[in-house]
Amino acid sequence: MIRFENVTKVYDQKARPALDSINLEIDRGEFAFLVGASGSGKSTFLRLVLKEDRASSGAVYVAGQNVANISSWRVPRLRRGIGVVFQDFRLLPQKTVFANVAFAMQVIGKSRSVIRDTVPEVLKTVGLEGKENRLPHELSGGEQQRVAIARAVVNRPGILLADEPTGNLDPTTSMGIMGVLDKINQNGTTVVMATHDDDIVNEMRKRVVELRNGVIIRDEAKALYTSMIPVVGASRRLRDASGREPEPAAATRSEARAEARAAGEAQL
Amino acid sequence: MRLQFVLAEIASGLRRNLSMVVSVILVTFVSLTFVGAAGMLQLQINQMKGYWYDKVQVAIFLCSDGSTAAGCATGPATPEQQENLGKLLESPAVAQYVNDFQFESKDDAYKHFKEQFSNSPIVDSVTPDQLPASFRINMKDPEKYQIISETFSSQAGVETVIDQRQLLERLFSVMNAASLVAVSVAGVMIVCAILLIATTIRLSAFSRRRETGIMRLVGASKMVIQLPFILEGVIAAVIGAGLASATLWAVAHFFLGGYLSQQYPDTAFISAGQTLILAPALIGLGVLLAGVSSLLTLRRYLKV
Repeated sequence: MIRFENVTKVYDQKARPALDSINLEIDRGEFAFLVGASGSGKSTFLRLVLKEDRASSGAVYVAGQNVANISSWRVPRLRRGIGVVFQDFRLLPQKTVFANVAFAMQVIGKSRSVIRDTVPEVLKTVGLEGKENRLPHELSGGEQQRVAIARAVVNRPGILLADEPTGNLDPTTSMGIMGVLDKINQNGTTVVMATHDDDIVNEMRKRVVELRNGVIIRDEAKALYTSMIPVVGASRRLRDASGREPEPAAATRSEARAEARAAGEAQL
Repeated sequence: MRLQFVLAEIASGLRRNLSMVVSVILVTFVSLTFVGAAGMLQLQINQMKGYWYDKVQVAIFLCSDGSTAAGCATGPATPEQQENLGKLLESPAVAQYVNDFQFESKDDAYKHFKEQFSNSPIVDSVTPDQLPASFRINMKDPEKYQIISETFSSQAGVETVIDQRQLLERLFSVMNAASLVAVSVAGVMIVCAILLIATTIRLSAFSRRRETGIMRLVGASKMVIQLPFILEGVIAAVIGAGLASATLWAVAHFFLGGYLSQQYPDTAFISAGQTLILAPALIGLGVLLAGVSSLLTLRRYLKV
């Protein structure tokens, strides 16, 4: 679904590249975490997928198409196939929940009857039934992020990009959001999520791609979040990734997350 | 749906930016009024030129019923006198200066008079008998007017010989200068209007950057994103142009038609209706101003 072939992105000729010869393939229906410190190139990765920026060299394929070959007037069509969620929600404050989600359909010219049918359905998927007429400031952070997710997927994109969607949320709420993203993934949408949240990564056990200074240093299936600095125990954590039980403290934390996540999903 | 959406966007943009929109309306109003004033002066000049101005330089008026000139003591010009004058014009002595000439009968004169003074109350009180017949002469060299004047002034049946151009040209040069001034002021005002429209669009784009950012992300086309901004400027400019057209109409109707034509009944003025032919030009100019300046601004300030 997303394929990077030897992609390099240079913002400033004098500085090191933001992405340096990246090769990566994310398949249809996959759920992948993009982890790494600030400045490691996660956001640049997402921007290249959206064709917000042009790769300095190499090729970026989205849904089998080289984005460099998409003419500027066809970029909107590319973006219709990609949903995006941000850390800061980016809702329209004067619009109700329904109107915020409907906005994404209006601007691409969907008919009113289609909007009337689709929006409540999507709001139900993200667990916001009955809150159609609330304004964003009347919602909790988690609920606002659910609205943002609803808006991102209402046009049924094949890909959902999430740039630290849980960065502003507390752990319990975050797990609820992850439940929503997981559910969307189960329905066949490819999800790529950039995050710093180690608890979530450890809990979800999905593919993890770790970037450091624009280079992929790790790409593992069903992996854990490893810290950037090699510390004592790092090797054990890596072993955990291969299926062994995590350390007891982490286990209890992990259980708490699991409960929270179950609670989050129960709300849906 | 899409149209309705774009209209709703425009309405919200106009509402949010009301003070800027009002200033755009006022600036386009003032600048286009100056443009229109220049246009109106040109229309007025054309009106005053009448039927003959561009065709001939010298008119020889024959005596008519009411003539008081010394040469007309014997009453209106007789057909023989008229024939003699025609022969004289064709004689080699005069013909070398004349390109060609035409005879305007009283009836022709009445017809042309009615056309020129169609907007003036005087037209109803004039009959063909009161208007003099005339020879209209197209000179090879307009400067040689004096020769014609000397030759014909003393002829029997000639009331007067007039160099029409000289009479009107001074007035026209004043009016042309006035329209030049109007156009220069308009030029400065139009620059103001363009800059103001650009600033307004910029503010509008800035205050709606959330919306446009989301629109881009969900794949709205360039047109859907930009059209509301462009149309906002265009609507404001069209309102300004409409006000300018209305002002010109009011000036023609109340000042020219109502006041000046009473004061100077023997001058042909344009009618209020004639100023309306300027309206489409002014509105077109307004749309062009707004469209071009908003397109240029959006290219810089609204990433799509």
